[in-house]
Amino acid sequence: MSRKRKISLTEDELVLALRNREKIAIEALYDMYSASLYGVISRIITDTATAEDVLQETFVKIWHSFSSYSTEKGRLFTWMVNIARNLAIDKIRSKDFKNQNKNQELENNVTFIDEQRNTVYKPELLGIKELVQTLKPEQKSILELVYFKGYTHVEAADELGIPLGTIKTRLRMAIQQLRKHFN
Amino acid sequence: MEDIKAYIESGILELYVMGDVTPDEKLQVEEMAAKHPAIKAELDEIERSMELFAEDMAVEPATHLRNKILNSILTNLGNDSSFASKDEIVKDNVVAIATPKTNIFYKYAFAACLALLLASIVALVSMYNKLQDTNTQLAAMQLDKQHFANQVNLVNGELQVFQDASFKFLKLQGTPHSPSSQLTVAWSPAKKKVWIDMHSIKMAENDHSHQYQLWALVGGKPVDLGVFDKTADTTADMKEMKSIASADAFAVTLEPRGGSASPTMDQMVVIGKF
Repeated sequence: MSRKRKISLTEDELVLALRNREKIAIEALYDMYSASLYGVISRIITDTATAEDVLQETFVKIWHSFSSYSTEKGRLFTWMVNIARNLAIDKIRSKDFKNQNKNQELENNVTFIDEQRNTVYKPELLGIKELVQTLKPEQKSILELVYFKGYTHVEAADELGIPLGTIKTRLRMAIQQLRKHFN
Repeated sequence: MEDIKAYIESGILELYVMGDVTPDEKLQVEEMAAKHPAIKAELDEIERSMELFAEDMAVEPATHLRNKILNSILTNLGNDSSFASKDEIVKDNVVAIATPKTNIFYKYAFAACLALLLASIVALVSMYNKLQDTNTQLAAMQLDKQHFANQVNLVNGELQVFQDASFKFLKLQGTPHSPSSQLTVAWSPAKKKVWIDMHSIKMAENDHSHQYQLWALVGGKPVDLGVFDKTADTTADMKEMKSIASADAFAVTLEPRGGSASPTMDQMVVIGKF
């Protein structure tokens, strides 16, 4: 199916179609959300093949556990992105993934560690557009840790060496900034 | 309203959207949202922002993934009828492997060859034995033939002696030493041949260390004409002795085996003169 003919439905239509387990629903779901979800997954998992596996697992899980989603609890994307993030984090914390990384070639180690520690500047990681200017560095780092690295706010506070309350405030400020930007 | 505002500003709603809340907190937020439209609206705003943020940060996955992922879901769509045709596809693709025919003919042929070989060996052995027998018989026959030929030659010779007019026959008489001895000598001066008749010989048998010796007396001197034996199984009828052209008399003496250069006179057995 060509990428030009992306299927797009309203969220209500999509949810209804997914409930009815219609074929078009999963196609629409993929066309509408795969890029956004893959954006999150690929920032958590740098290895392309593994990230692609997780994207597949994400859609399979969305499809099979769709009955546990209800519109009252929030937007569909919020529910889905949490599934994607959790699967991605489970993957990088899994024994297989760690072992796989232990078996990296020696010469790859420097770049590998750099990637793991994010010491390399990745323009695609945060804000490629004017979004960069709208966010302060501390707001960027908190979003990066919590949204893309799957840190809890407690872990993030520990990592950044700032109090829990400050973390929450900064996260809120960052999202406020985003809201302003998108409005 | 102050409580609601404080609740919103606490940052719990953001954490809720991030999925970074405990199950208790989660329930609490959901309760609050259900109760207070302002909180619900705020939550919705946060979710929208994050969704837009994620859209902004979107990364297109590889195009081939779409089919792969959709197929992995759709094949499990629970419609068993989509598998129905698969059973029929597996039809008759099991082809019996042609079992190689064990050729019994060669087994029998081999056995027959072996039997033939054995029979041939047996026949060969018996033929060989027969051949050996035949050879032995042949050798015996040849020996016989030789014997007869010899006999015939001898008899021919004897016959010649009798037929030939030039032969003279002289009967040697026993000496006083052995008066009963007799020997017939045939001599042809023309052919210089001397024969003795072994058939009519009447002399004592000689032992192993002695032989009889025939002498011719020529002008009073004895000339050796060879030795001979007189044994019980002497078969030859005539025996040819050494040749001599002229002789006055013949005599036989008993000499040591092999003969002597000159006769031992006191051992003279027979003597005869012309």
